[in-house]
Amino acid sequence: MDKIDRLGWAGGMSLTAYGVRVGVRVNDAAMLDAIRSYLPVGWKPSPVSVVERLYSLIHGGAGERPGVRRFNLLYGDIVRLARTTDLEEMLEMFESDLQLHVAEAARRRVFIHAGVVGWKGRAILIPGRSLSGKTTLVAALVRLGATYYSDEYAVMDKSGRVHPFPKPLQIREGASTKQTKHSVEEFGGRVGHRPLPVGLIISSRYRSGARWRPRPLSTGQGMLELLANTVSARRNPRAALSALQQAASGAQTLKGERGEAANAAHAILKRLEE
Amino acid sequence: MERTRRIVPMARKDELVIQEVSGETLVYDLKSHEAHCLNQTAALVWKHCDGRLTVAQVMERLERELKSPVSQEVVWLALDQLEKSDLLEKGARPLAGYAPVSRRALIRSLGIATAVAVPLVTSIVAPTAAQTGSKCGGVGASCGGMNPECCKGLVCDGSCFDPAG
Repeated sequence: MDKIDRLGWAGGMSLTAYGVRVGVRVNDAAMLDAIRSYLPVGWKPSPVSVVERLYSLIHGGAGERPGVRRFNLLYGDIVRLARTTDLEEMLEMFESDLQLHVAEAARRRVFIHAGVVGWKGRAILIPGRSLSGKTTLVAALVRLGATYYSDEYAVMDKSGRVHPFPKPLQIREGASTKQTKHSVEEFGGRVGHRPLPVGLIISSRYRSGARWRPRPLSTGQGMLELLANTVSARRNPRAALSALQQAASGAQTLKGERGEAANAAHAILKRLEE
Repeated sequence: MERTRRIVPMARKDELVIQEVSGETLVYDLKSHEAHCLNQTAALVWKHCDGRLTVAQVMERLERELKSPVSQEVVWLALDQLEKSDLLEKGARPLAGYAPVSRRALIRSLGIATAVAVPLVTSIVAPTAAQTGSKCGGVGASCGGMNPECCKGLVCDGSCFDPAG
């Protein structure tokens, strides 16, 4: 038994998401309600007590002396992931780590770090890391009438179709790393529900003043662009490559720098109509 | 030409995941976690590196399959790229001392119309799960380079750690 297991726990729950079993325990029962909005899309409560990963959340709360606050602590199994006086920050870290764990360990889905919208029955994938501008481009596409699927993960089945992962859009304020959540309805958009085949893969990076003049990539190179953002690439490359092949085979891949998202968004939608 | 007759390159097949797609070949190296995309020409050369065919014979096979004349430089350039990508058996490495022309020089000498037939191996390093995430790294997470920055309050020293212990 590890030291952390000897602490007093006030409550806990088991859940499954995409076939991955996760446990959460808290030292303050009120936190169980608070964490629900930080759980992954499609999670379900689970009766099982054996889980693949156990999160422990310790709410610091007020200290014994006036004006003193204790740290909020987050553990993933026995590794400390966060130590902060900001409860919101700890919950966001919990959300991020849990999503990533589910994305890596999911058995029947391949998770690609990408923004996704639907347009005329096909999915547009915008793979990219943090600060590549994919959320801004997703928001611009949604404003033009595209259906929102995700600004975080393209969730792909083995036949290469993309399923919705409709978390609120997380938009950074200026150059800050702090993100604020916005519902897709704020952009006049709507959420897609049915899985879509991939029509277009956009590998782009924002550069102020750049004009969107992408070059087409081959199918294989398109697969590489997706693989470079696939969460389970190392853990299960066979399944990842197989799903990516299905996805990329029927899609065009375009790569290039873009300037303002609105300009690029027009050109991207037009491309899919050609 | 004498040298070409003696050399019998051999493709590495162990610890690789291979996927063919539209004439190209995707290769995932389970040892290095690198992924390579071989265009049609590079894929054909790699396919014929069986440890028996000489470079000249590989060139002949390539000509037959592409249905057009192929310069010996094309095969050498493919072998050079395959070797750099660790897709040839180490014991059969024939290329030391040989200086193949660059892809750019080859396109220039053969003409732009033949650029498609010039071998090309594109490579990436597959990311770890944490590298694909958009948030910060927690205690113990790798940081620096392609990895995410450490979360607030943590310090990066190859991996994120908490200076407060």
